Amino acid sequence: MSNELAIAPVESTEDRLLRLVAGGWIFLLLLALVAIFLVLRPAQFGSAYNVQQLFINAAILLVLAVGQTYVVITSGIDLSVGSVLVFASVVSAKLMLFLSGAGGTTYGTTAAGWDIIAIGTVAALLVGVAWGTFNGILIAVTKIPPLIVTLGTMGMALGGAQILSGGVDVRAMPELLVTHVGSGRILGIPTLVVIATVTAVIAGIVLHMTRFGMHIFAVGSNAEASRRSGIPTTARLIQVYAISGLMAGIAAVMSNARFSTTTINGHAMDNLATISAVVLGGTSLFGGVGSVFGTVVGVFIPIILLNGFVILGIPPFWQTVAMGAVLILAVWIDQLKRRLRKRG
Amino acid sequence: MTKTIVSVTVGLVLTSLSASGAFAQEANSVALVLGSSGSPFYQAMQCGAQARAKELGLSLTVSAADQFAADAQIPVVNAVTASAPKVAAIVPTDMQALIPPMRELAGRGTQVITVDQTISDPSILKTQILTDNKAGGGMAADALAALIGKKGKVLVITQPPGSLAQDAREAGFAATLAEKYPDIQYLGPQYQSNDPQRAAEIITSTLSAHPDLAGVFSTNDQGAIGAITGLRQAGAVGKVKMVAYDAASAEVAALKNGELQGLIAQSPSQQGAVAMDIAAKLIAGEAVKPVTMAEIVAIGADQPELADKYEYVAGCM
Repeated sequence: MSNELAIAPVESTEDRLLRLVAGGWIFLLLLALVAIFLVLRPAQFGSAYNVQQLFINAAILLVLAVGQTYVVITSGIDLSVGSVLVFASVVSAKLMLFLSGAGGTTYGTTAAGWDIIAIGTVAALLVGVAWGTFNGILIAVTKIPPLIVTLGTMGMALGGAQILSGGVDVRAMPELLVTHVGSGRILGIPTLVVIATVTAVIAGIVLHMTRFGMHIFAVGSNAEASRRSGIPTTARLIQVYAISGLMAGIAAVMSNARFSTTTINGHAMDNLATISAVVLGGTSLFGGVGSVFGTVVGVFIPIILLNGFVILGIPPFWQTVAMGAVLILAVWIDQLKRRLRKRG
Repeated sequence: MTKTIVSVTVGLVLTSLSASGAFAQEANSVALVLGSSGSPFYQAMQCGAQARAKELGLSLTVSAADQFAADAQIPVVNAVTASAPKVAAIVPTDMQALIPPMRELAGRGTQVITVDQTISDPSILKTQILTDNKAGGGMAADALAALIGKKGKVLVITQPPGSLAQDAREAGFAATLAEKYPDIQYLGPQYQSNDPQRAAEIITSTLSAHPDLAGVFSTNDQGAIGAITGLRQAGAVGKVKMVAYDAASAEVAALKNGELQGLIAQSPSQQGAVAMDIAAKLIAGEAVKPVTMAEIVAIGADQPELADKYEYVAGCM
């Protein structure tokens, strides 16, 4: 057991400084963006309303991106997150519709109680974990590259969701889910934001403060060395993809609640959005380096950019240009960091 | 880059799947190539076509790529060409790019018709079933203008330029506003690619910049779902009037709930059925009109029965 500690990344002062500068760089960018928009449009950008909307808009993507962070730290990639979300939301919604009787007080809702919602939620989480485990087994045991495996399951999960639903969004959601989770509040904070925050905090603690989390970093920086030091690398990899699937399951419930329908065709870009958030947050695509906090920052960058650009009235094409530029810049910094480290 | 690989690979996989089922060569074989799989609109079209084909005794094979894109659809059309049906009804996803594969299809003796969309060279076609999306956009402008008392700020949520139908809807909307409603301030289009998340962000951000926003027009169902979510999130449902294209289940429910006030609906199942009628006529050697216009209706908040009638359901799936 003692040799596990030996593979924990030992940082020199210089390394730590580099990591802080580079890792904090994107946070500085976020602060700069906020400052610029605040100066230009203080009343609109800084309003309580706007800030709250920013958090709600980030919630679902953040949950998905947290799972993606785990995967990318193992130097993997999960392209299937959006499709697994859709699959889980269809299964969950169909199950809840099947179990509920009467319609709700508004159209497109049912009068299902919390018991049925709980069943639907558990179903979504289980389905997510199942897809994630499937990904993990194919990647860790059969050694097919993650890009290919998750590309395959991306198609399988989306196609499966379309088969289950006939390609048409499930027509009704429990009214309680929509009003209390989708647009509800807990102690004045939007429920979706509460769920995302709790999820991110737990994921951050597990990743940065437990032995399990340390194993994930170890597997990502050197799988062979980890295996030789007694880390069950196969199991860890499977668990990491299962976690990503679990996050997609949680996000599925949030998405059902928020949009009050299954949005089957609406998640094709989720995988790239989460990967860019993770990369923006300083997590290395080569594995072994990363943080949940960075990902939180990475999720907010595009959301704040879009928000600020819309408020300023900048033509929408520039949003696309700006996002692309920021992403490249972030990866370039990552490369610089590695080069510096090698030289050191 | 990743996205390209994703779409192409998935497209190829689906193509080979759909192509394997398409070797019918009977005297009454008909192929229908949809714009994309997994869209309520095209699912409904498929159901309409299948029901009518059964009535008419046609042997119908339906195929589609997973994305509404020419590069994904061309292999599907090629596969249909290989199966040599008597009639092929195609929803071309691009006016130009689909011309060569469709010309080859026609050159091999298949009678080709277009449904919903068309190509810029109709000479290789027997007939076209067309939707006037520009007129539909204009109808949306009229409906929204009436809802907001012909004045105030309006926003459009649409796909990024390149999708012909959606571009035409936005253009028709903008043209009608400029022509007939001088007191309406058009804030311009904002783009989302079938991404309700993004549409919700656009709505909440626009409300920060323009708290007096009067109306929103979404050119498709995913944009509408996101826009409604954004309005709900901002507590602006009913205050900001909304008109949306299509009649997906979620939109019909939103109309009945008063979350949006108008729908511009097409009848995809009827388009599918009309395509089969025309196919049967072509096989029988009868003459067909060169152009059939597909129906577009504006549905108001006070017409829930009409919304039910036009709702995009895929009852056959």
